[in-house]
Amino acid sequence: MWQRLHAELEDRGLTVVTVALDIDPADARPFIDAAEPTHPSLVDTAHVTDQLFGFTNVPMAVWIDESGTIVRPAEHASVQRSPLRDMEVPEGLPDRLDRMFREVRKLGDQSEEYRAAIIDWVEHGPASPYALTPDEVTARSGGCSEEQARAAACFELGQHLWRTIGEEAAIPWWKEAHALYPENWTYKRQAWTLATTADDAAAPDLIQEAGEVYGTSWLDDVLRLGGGERYYPEVQL
Amino acid sequence: MLLTSLRAEPSEFAARTGWEAKPEGLCRGEICVPAPGAIGDDGTLDVEVIAERLRMPLVHDAEHGLWALGPGASGPALPCATAADPVLEDRDGNPFRLSSLRGRKVLRRAWASW
Repeated sequence: MWQRLHAELEDRGLTVVTVALDIDPADARPFIDAAEPTHPSLVDTAHVTDQLFGFTNVPMAVWIDESGTIVRPAEHASVQRSPLRDMEVPEGLPDRLDRMFREVRKLGDQSEEYRAAIIDWVEHGPASPYALTPDEVTARSGGCSEEQARAAACFELGQHLWRTIGEEAAIPWWKEAHALYPENWTYKRQAWTLATTADDAAAPDLIQEAGEVYGTSWLDDVLRLGGGERYYPEVQL
Repeated sequence: MLLTSLRAEPSEFAARTGWEAKPEGLCRGEICVPAPGAIGDDGTLDVEVIAERLRMPLVHDAEHGLWALGPGASGPALPCATAADPVLEDRDGNPFRLSSLRGRKVLRRAWASW
């Protein structure tokens, strides 16, 4: 869908750049190959862009103008309604899986409005109501508390140790990052998927029942948040 | 930013944190923070001085001889609207920088396999 948007708007001055936040590039590769992107398609194995752009979950995006200035800070970014949103939950699923699918069905959907906003910006540039001023961008980017800043450092230590020593060395630092910044789903989901995906699995485990290792899971944390409808904060368009 | 010592090369520091060492101090976009003592005689940066000046947490893993420097705390998540310009590899393994797309609008989207 992003390749289609890029192809549609490329001649009008927009380039889509996708960045996979995957510590292991092999996990991202099949998805990239399937999309056959003609736009820059990057892999950020060190999660460098998380803190530089404020990404705390996926999918999120920032808009950057011709001079390299951000005109919309990190926010949920979807241009097509997820089929999971309308999926019928099959009968007879295990309880946890059934509850997870029911929360997924509640995820917010602003894909149509968000897509229209992109096109408006491409047409009107700074005159578009969706292009924010630098002051609005920094104000909307949210704060960075001492706990959040420390969480970023802990998460990075964990990544380095995962790569150089192994998962056991990474887990204590990732647990600390999760405790310091529980609202950051990127830190959690990256760690959980590594804990719950079998070595020989064909695809990453998306259910992420990582309770045994991390004491929590996607479903537990979504329910704690108040349900799937709160999982993606509303985009202020 | 991950470190094995408390001295850092300015170019690497800028690529990883967005903060550039200039004569007037440490700068990110139009913001400059004076940081006396941050630049050593050999041109390398004193990370402890910068961490204190920019309120960046410096987390130490003594067992593995590592430090990690977090982003500046107690300010906005984006201190300014100038987009950072880290080098990342594209699908062919070539280095890519956002600044190569100056003159075009860019939608930079994060996704993941997980």
